[in-house]
Amino acid sequence: MRVPLSWLREYVDFDLSPEALAERLTLLGMEVRGIERIGADWSSVVVGELLDVAPHPNADRLSLTRVNVGAGKPELSIVCGARNIEIGQRVPVALPGAVLPGGRRIDVTKKAGIDSEGMLCSGAELGLTTDADGILILDPATEIGQHLSDLLGEVVLDVDVKPNRGDALSIVGLAREVAAALDTQAREPMVTVDESGDATDAHVSVEVRDPLRCPRFVARYMDGITIRPSPVSVQVRLMAAGMRPISNVVDASNYVMLELGKPTHAFDAARVTDGHLIVRAAEPAERLETLDHAQRDLTPETLLIADSTGPLAIAGVMGGAASEVTGATTAVIIESAIFDPVMIRRTGQHYALRSEASLRFEKGQESRLARLGADRTAQLILEWAGGRAAKGAIDTDPADPPALRLVFRPERIVRLLGVEVAAGEMRALLNRVGIETAPATAADVVVIAIGARPIPLDAAGAHTALVAIVPGHRRDLAIEADIAEEVARIRGYETLPGRRPDTLMPTYRPDPHAATDRIRDLLSGRGLSEVVTFSLIAPGDHARLGDGRDDPATIRATNPVTVEHSELRRSLIPELSRVLVDNERQRRDDVAIFETGITHRWTDGQPVERHQLGILLAGLASPPTWDAPSRPVDVADAKGLIEWLVGRVAVGRVRYEPATVRAGVEHPGRTAVVAVEQASGTPVELGRVGELDPRYLAAVGARAERAIYAVIDLDGLARLAPTGRRITVLERLPGVDRDIAVVIDRSRPAGEVEDLIHAAGGAHLRSVSLFDRYQGPQIGEHEVSLTYRLRFEPGERPLEEKEIDTTISAITQALSDRLGARLRA
Amino acid sequence: MDLEAFSSQLTALRDRALTALEDAVDPDALEEVASAYLGRKGELTALLSGIGALPAADRPRVGALANPIRQQLDAAVATRRERLNSIALEVRLAQERIDVTMPGRALTRGSLHPIPETYREIVRVLGRFGFVTFDSPEVETDELNFQLLNIPADHPARDLWDTIYVEPPASDAATATSLEAPTVEAPRWLLRTHTSPGQIRAMREMRPPIRLLTPGRCYRHEAVDASHGFEFFQVEGLMVDEGTTMAHLRGLLDEFAHALFGAERPTRFRPGYYPFTEPSVAFDIQCVVCDGSGCSACGRSGWMTILGAGMVHPVVMRNGGLDPERYQGFAFGMGIDRIAMLRHGIPDLRAFLADDLRFLERS
Repeated sequence: MRVPLSWLREYVDFDLSPEALAERLTLLGMEVRGIERIGADWSSVVVGELLDVAPHPNADRLSLTRVNVGAGKPELSIVCGARNIEIGQRVPVALPGAVLPGGRRIDVTKKAGIDSEGMLCSGAELGLTTDADGILILDPATEIGQHLSDLLGEVVLDVDVKPNRGDALSIVGLAREVAAALDTQAREPMVTVDESGDATDAHVSVEVRDPLRCPRFVARYMDGITIRPSPVSVQVRLMAAGMRPISNVVDASNYVMLELGKPTHAFDAARVTDGHLIVRAAEPAERLETLDHAQRDLTPETLLIADSTGPLAIAGVMGGAASEVTGATTAVIIESAIFDPVMIRRTGQHYALRSEASLRFEKGQESRLARLGADRTAQLILEWAGGRAAKGAIDTDPADPPALRLVFRPERIVRLLGVEVAAGEMRALLNRVGIETAPATAADVVVIAIGARPIPLDAAGAHTALVAIVPGHRRDLAIEADIAEEVARIRGYETLPGRRPDTLMPTYRPDPHAATDRIRDLLSGRGLSEVVTFSLIAPGDHARLGDGRDDPATIRATNPVTVEHSELRRSLIPELSRVLVDNERQRRDDVAIFETGITHRWTDGQPVERHQLGILLAGLASPPTWDAPSRPVDVADAKGLIEWLVGRVAVGRVRYEPATVRAGVEHPGRTAVVAVEQASGTPVELGRVGELDPRYLAAVGARAERAIYAVIDLDGLARLAPTGRRITVLERLPGVDRDIAVVIDRSRPAGEVEDLIHAAGGAHLRSVSLFDRYQGPQIGEHEVSLTYRLRFEPGERPLEEKEIDTTISAITQALSDRLGARLRA
Repeated sequence: MDLEAFSSQLTALRDRALTALEDAVDPDALEEVASAYLGRKGELTALLSGIGALPAADRPRVGALANPIRQQLDAAVATRRERLNSIALEVRLAQERIDVTMPGRALTRGSLHPIPETYREIVRVLGRFGFVTFDSPEVETDELNFQLLNIPADHPARDLWDTIYVEPPASDAATATSLEAPTVEAPRWLLRTHTSPGQIRAMREMRPPIRLLTPGRCYRHEAVDASHGFEFFQVEGLMVDEGTTMAHLRGLLDEFAHALFGAERPTRFRPGYYPFTEPSVAFDIQCVVCDGSGCSACGRSGWMTILGAGMVHPVVMRNGGLDPERYQGFAFGMGIDRIAMLRHGIPDLRAFLADDLRFLERS
């Protein structure tokens, strides 16, 4: 809401700088987002008097004027192209050297051969009105020579009115807030209508067929009016408030909307058949051309203002083009009604028409404003457009509803706020926002929450409880807590002391992110960079992974901001690849990144989230150093990370199995399923590790020929984490290392060898690590030699060499039996 | 040979040995000398093995003569060995000199993303006051995201959240036509616009006293600019019991702001509006850029809003299954991204999801 301060001052007195006023309003909950100074950019624009207006000797379309810009100043000779100037008028004059809005500089320039010593200004050139054709003609009494900024300069506050305070979407409403802040009184406009016409009902009748959606309808009739532009001061004020001036009648309606917050509408009376207005639902197949000249197919939910021949307006949202006030209009019917807010909101959304009027209607309107708005509009039309107002108004429900009695318990408010405020002080504070208070009675009940059963007051409660008499415009006050807020904000939050919580502590709950945070620390410590990527990805990203556009498991946005971000990711791979590509563009080819993120999918009609760890490696495995070359990353790097990570956070042994690959995404020969085997039970599958298919990398635009990835299920990993790892105390008995070189056929997976070593390794086998792999002339052509270091650790007694020999024999036997392996000497 | 002759041979041997030891200039030569005189096949052994030639009466005195000499020679070897080892070590150390000004062998730096790290910092601070993380889903229903939070359909406050909705799952259509299930209206799915649905879920899951933080990704249908994105990160705080007051909210938030933005930083409450709190406030800190003198970062006001908060609305409390007459408490919500931007001086929200490693490695 844009608030010109000159307008605000009509309804409340204040002696504060705009900044100080803005601060007070902000601290009262009416946040001022900006302060605009209109006229601050007019330099050297003064009021001048036209002493002479003569035709320009060299140009038909131009005039040559002599202008008085104040006593003691030389007369100026100014060439002007506008047609609306006459001798004696007072006009804005930009003196040579002046700078106008937009940075336009005015100098002495030759116009059709004659020097023009400045410029006469139009309203548009000054940003004051929309009129760019004519010079802005000022009031004849205006003092000559004064700076225009002193005359028409304005300070405008941009106030962010919250959705619950529709009453403050008005100058009068904000004047009430200023008054509350300063503990003074606000005023309302003095509304009197000089009713010189005959009776209104001789010209207008109103039939409300849907009183639920239109509980009140006020109509007035005026004739003999002359449509013309509003007075300059009105146009300037409307512009400052953000509204384009149209004509005196339309401006009057808009002026009342801004001033009182009451939207009204003026129909050209000549276009309303028999002056009979009908408020009804639209009928099937009805159409209406609205003011914006769009043809609207009306739905039956739409409430209309109609006459006997058809729709005239969409109630509360927009008028119709056919009954619009035009230059030929001489009589108008003013509509000032109350409509169901929900209906207005739905209608506005349905037709994608949100007007200043509908924004106010949908927040709810005080019933009293129906009559006040009609009268004020009539008063302003009389003032600006002349004519006669008919006697009285049609009013379908003239009785204003009684004020809401809202019971509150001062001690309950104290308990909520945590600061002692005496009941008397509360009453005084409420009084500043126009809320009268009175003692409650035993028959009163306290409304805790709308929809909940109110709490009756007992005798003791009634003794201390109070009743707030809520003025009609405060439709936001409905429960006891609302009164608490009024007390707190009027008193000022600076009076609320801060206290550290000293109430009961909750029961212990483990931190669900602890395991993930541990993993993040570990991986970043290993040199990986954590990334956080988009959760909404493109359908093409999923399609590349093989999840098509019709895959039922994909969660899709109905109204995405862009199709590039319209599906919730089912995998971390696309965005990790995107980060690779983006960084490659920055000439950063060595990428080692990870993300702990959520993937989404529908499962049995429910959205299911999975917490995953994604790793992507590309480029060199480590920075090249001065004494050693680097090498490209490979799958074993990612595996090493996984094994190390699992070893650090969980209990169990990592195993890999060849995976069934996603064609075109994963390298067919370099993709494995990652599982963790614990002492008991079947291995738990945790994810995948491998190399991305070069075709996938090419498709996403990566320059890297190889990229290594891993995806690990974090929830699964967390389940493998012990709540207190068993740590064996080994006394001082030494461990024993044995190396064995196993020769097997190269087609056999190494994973099986390791499995067998573990299976046959007995209770003391602590770790198995592959430290050499050999193919060559010393063994068969189709063989490979794998050398493992087996670490045995003792239990409660020392390890006997014999025991280890037996175990090694058992291992050898198993390898020989199951894999046809032999030991290499 | 008599004892006299034996003794002089012994002395001569000793003198030769000592000279030879002195002449040994490296450990290997020394060991050779030591072995030549004192070894199993050395001269001393050879000489002593010749005592059979002595008269029987003299033989017992040989030990008294020979032992001191052997001890003297052993000691001389040890001394010489120590001396030579020490020289050798010094030579080696002198040869091993490196350019100590050279850099170390570089490790990849690694980094943690500012968003999760900022959340961790928030938990670190509020965890001291008993707040623990409570996760809540990103794909929500209209009911939990709005209605139960006192934002009915067609409420003007809905304008505060531009919502991204989600196409219903394929099986919803099936459920609707299923004969067994009574006709329940299928939920309207959406991407949560804030973390506030966590309030309802938490209150339904546990009894007071409650102190929780619900962090995570939120979504809004918003045009992207330096301070808006359609994906962003929020954290919701909730504290409910029988005596939690607005003064507690103020006290807690002050502690929070002082922990994250400096112990001296002024803070303020000002009235705000949220349908799910009553009263509602905005919590401001003095501008971290200009320290209150007014700059473009704070819109010349000297203050920056870091979160919205308020006392849990009685309707929300009821929807969470708690009696609003008995229980009361507060909720607050803040943008993790915004806190991170303010703490690290990051001017543009878009940097967070762009994941430029040059940006991340500065974190």
